[in-house]
Amino acid sequence: MLESYDQLTSLEIDTLREIGSIGSGNAATALSQMLGREIRITLPEVRIMGYNEAIEWIGGPEAVTAGVLVRMSNQMNGIMLSVQKLEFVNIVLGSMLSKQATSYEELGELERSALVEVGNIMISTFINALTGLAGIKVNLTVPAFALDMQGAILTVPMAEYGGMSDYLMTIGGNFVCDGMHVPCHLLLSPDLRSLSFLLRKLGVADG
Amino acid sequence: MADKSLTVGIADMKMARGEGVLITYALGSCIGLCFHDPRLRLGALLHIMLPLNMEAGRKTPLKYADTGIRETLKQMEARGASRSRITVKIAGGAKMFEVAGGNLGNIGQRNVESVHAILKQENIRLLAEDVGGKVARTLLFDVASGQGCIRSYGRQDIIF
Repeated sequence: MLESYDQLTSLEIDTLREIGSIGSGNAATALSQMLGREIRITLPEVRIMGYNEAIEWIGGPEAVTAGVLVRMSNQMNGIMLSVQKLEFVNIVLGSMLSKQATSYEELGELERSALVEVGNIMISTFINALTGLAGIKVNLTVPAFALDMQGAILTVPMAEYGGMSDYLMTIGGNFVCDGMHVPCHLLLSPDLRSLSFLLRKLGVADG
Repeated sequence: MADKSLTVGIADMKMARGEGVLITYALGSCIGLCFHDPRLRLGALLHIMLPLNMEAGRKTPLKYADTGIRETLKQMEARGASRSRITVKIAGGAKMFEVAGGNLGNIGQRNVESVHAILKQENIRLLAEDVGGKVARTLLFDVASGQGCIRSYGRQDIIF
């Protein structure tokens, strides 16, 4: 049983990266079909970061972003978060609604619900790929949406597991749309117990 | 107000005396506490994340409301501050996402309740607060005047 994210072995991290690759790949395919554009993924990353480091990594605390959050339960507990920067938002709005936004303030009800839907579909396909691979059952809540400072959005998974760890683990990747790099972080943050369970199901954890 | 500013991270605390501005960014469910001893013009800004410290080793006291507040008071007293003069203003404790299940939703609320209870136990006066809701807050604290400023997205700045 893991007690901290920094106890992960390199084999376990490679396995998680593979999960990230398959999950993000499926999410990109779903997105590509929905938007009718070519979308691929860049090499996915597994990162284990301190709180303040994680906020710098996502691009500073105060920048405003859209976040879609889904909670996992059943055989794996945790949070999955899709952090959508404005470039990504514009790809979605351009393809679905033929609109562009220069700032988040221009987003109305319709635009917001399009973002929630896109986030939800990516998260669900990611989790479907993962559960299929590991042979486990995971339930997802309906997606919740927030448009605010990304530092505060990122502290949601941190606070959730803050009592167990001083680190945040994220598995995820960025997208390439029509040859352009688009930051769209899909972050999977399982709790430590679920992470141990997942690794055991995949046959790489000891004991 | 911005010439001598210090940034306070998550699960962190910084102090300044005489003049200076302490800033902590993007408080969601976390709480920022501005401690002030007006006679010494000594100020401390604490950024806590969770209500109660239940860690076995207690390696990060500043992450929690109970141990964070006590540690900050101790360090202020070590610099000559008096408990009877110290006042506190707080901001944060929001609910960023409306999600059912788990303890995800009410961490902000629990943080607020815990801060209230600990301040009461320690006999520290709570002067002002801007808590709850679903908005992220950046908190600036001027140690000379004891004045705080809260910056949010899509909302007017609040001076308190």
